Amino acid sequence: MPEKQAPAPEATEVVSRERALREQIEKIERESGAKAIAVAMRDAETGLELHSNGERWFHAASTIKVPILLGVFAAIDRGELLPHSRVHVRNRFLSVVENIPFRVESGRDSNSAVHNAIGKMMRVDELAYHMITTSSNLATNLLLGVIGPDAVNQTLKALHVDKGIELRRGVEDELAFEKGISNMVTADGLLRILVMLSEGKAFSPALSRRMMDILHGQEFNQGIPARLPKGARVAHKTGEISTVAHDAGVVYLPKRKPYVLVILTEWDPAASGRSRTIATISHTIYEYLTQGPVDE
Amino acid sequence: MTDAARFVDAGPTESPIFPLRVVDGLALPAEYRKALRPGEEWKDAGGSPRQLPRYFYEIPSWDSAMKIELASHFLLWEFIQVDVREAPPLRTFPRYVPCAITLLAVCLERFRDAVGTLVHISANGGYRSPSHRFSKNATLHAWGTAANIYRIGDTYLDNRSAIERFSLIARETLPGIWTRPYGTPSGFAEDHLHLDLGYVLSVPRDVKS
Repeated sequence: MPEKQAPAPEATEVVSRERALREQIEKIERESGAKAIAVAMRDAETGLELHSNGERWFHAASTIKVPILLGVFAAIDRGELLPHSRVHVRNRFLSVVENIPFRVESGRDSNSAVHNAIGKMMRVDELAYHMITTSSNLATNLLLGVIGPDAVNQTLKALHVDKGIELRRGVEDELAFEKGISNMVTADGLLRILVMLSEGKAFSPALSRRMMDILHGQEFNQGIPARLPKGARVAHKTGEISTVAHDAGVVYLPKRKPYVLVILTEWDPAASGRSRTIATISHTIYEYLTQGPVDE
Repeated sequence: MTDAARFVDAGPTESPIFPLRVVDGLALPAEYRKALRPGEEWKDAGGSPRQLPRYFYEIPSWDSAMKIELASHFLLWEFIQVDVREAPPLRTFPRYVPCAITLLAVCLERFRDAVGTLVHISANGGYRSPSHRFSKNATLHAWGTAANIYRIGDTYLDNRSAIERFSLIARETLPGIWTRPYGTPSGFAEDHLHLDLGYVLSVPRDVKS
């Protein structure tokens, strides 16, 4: 009877570091005061994965714009839209609650470009860019008005990335929010979409690259990228409302394959330190993957 | 179908100001007939049948639409801005607009004189075909006799005060004009001023119908 072999020293070290990473994330969560934190990560370089509360549902906030981006490019892939197809910019939408009209307040969008085009037309690729890079809610609802939520959900299903994503309505639909009808995501759900995008498997390598280019244009960089070294590039999408703060993206470091990271957090409305918490978790994961110190 | 058969009369093309040719919609290729539905009946919201326009001006290019004046302060392009919801054949050139579009332009010119500043027609707010995804219930936009105005000068018409103020000016200036009342239900408008001339069919005098 052969003796049970002891694990190789390298394996022991990996398990030890992973345990340390999990403990470090738990410590960050405890110290942050967050109500809940979920982290999902997949590293293309090492094949390592991390799933902490990965299947817990969170209000999606603006991270739902990543699945919507996928839906827009599905329409482009089907030939129903062209990147330069024009869309009437109109600030009038119907709530999923009794079709009551509502508008997106211009003050809620950080970029006035789309609001300034009311009455005119903008191209699909322009709207997609504003939807992601400055998180324009008006651009989001306009695109969703063209393609429809059902088409987005069908796309997610066809690509086998529907698990962990619930798209139920446009954004800024306050009546729906009050009725508890919200878009929801899990960290693992968003991870699956971003892995597919980063691997060039969404429709075609060319279309995947175009979506990644848009995500690279992200202007809100207080989360995942904030404490990464200068050479890091992050293609990502943030999301924040009074009770959640999220960041989900693909991290590109020099001389290694990228890793996909999703950090979802839930808070009391009065809590502070949200971006700092996401940045700290991102930094900890970075150190873990680059063999730096995990416990600071 | 040859071009010669499709065009009703070549005379107006001699005009350097208004060089558009009149086209019989029934003689257009099938994909255009399907989208434009020339001469067909279409029921309005009350169930009354309305006859769609049969005769159209043919616009050869965007460049020409940018140059052709329908009135002193209204160029043709302002009336044909449609988005991705328009039927695909009607999103590329040549494009077609009902001949009554010139009447609308004259009315808007008079309205512009009354308000004393720029009048902006919205995208999808001039002519749009009966096949446009926004077109329903025999919308007057498919007759080329309706305009959605979202901005006058620096004033956005997105509130009751602005819409009702300019609506009153339109009704006082343009006898017989109809303006959509302010409000959110179907048949009302709360983010633009809709005005229209009714179901006007313009048949150029050279047409033998």
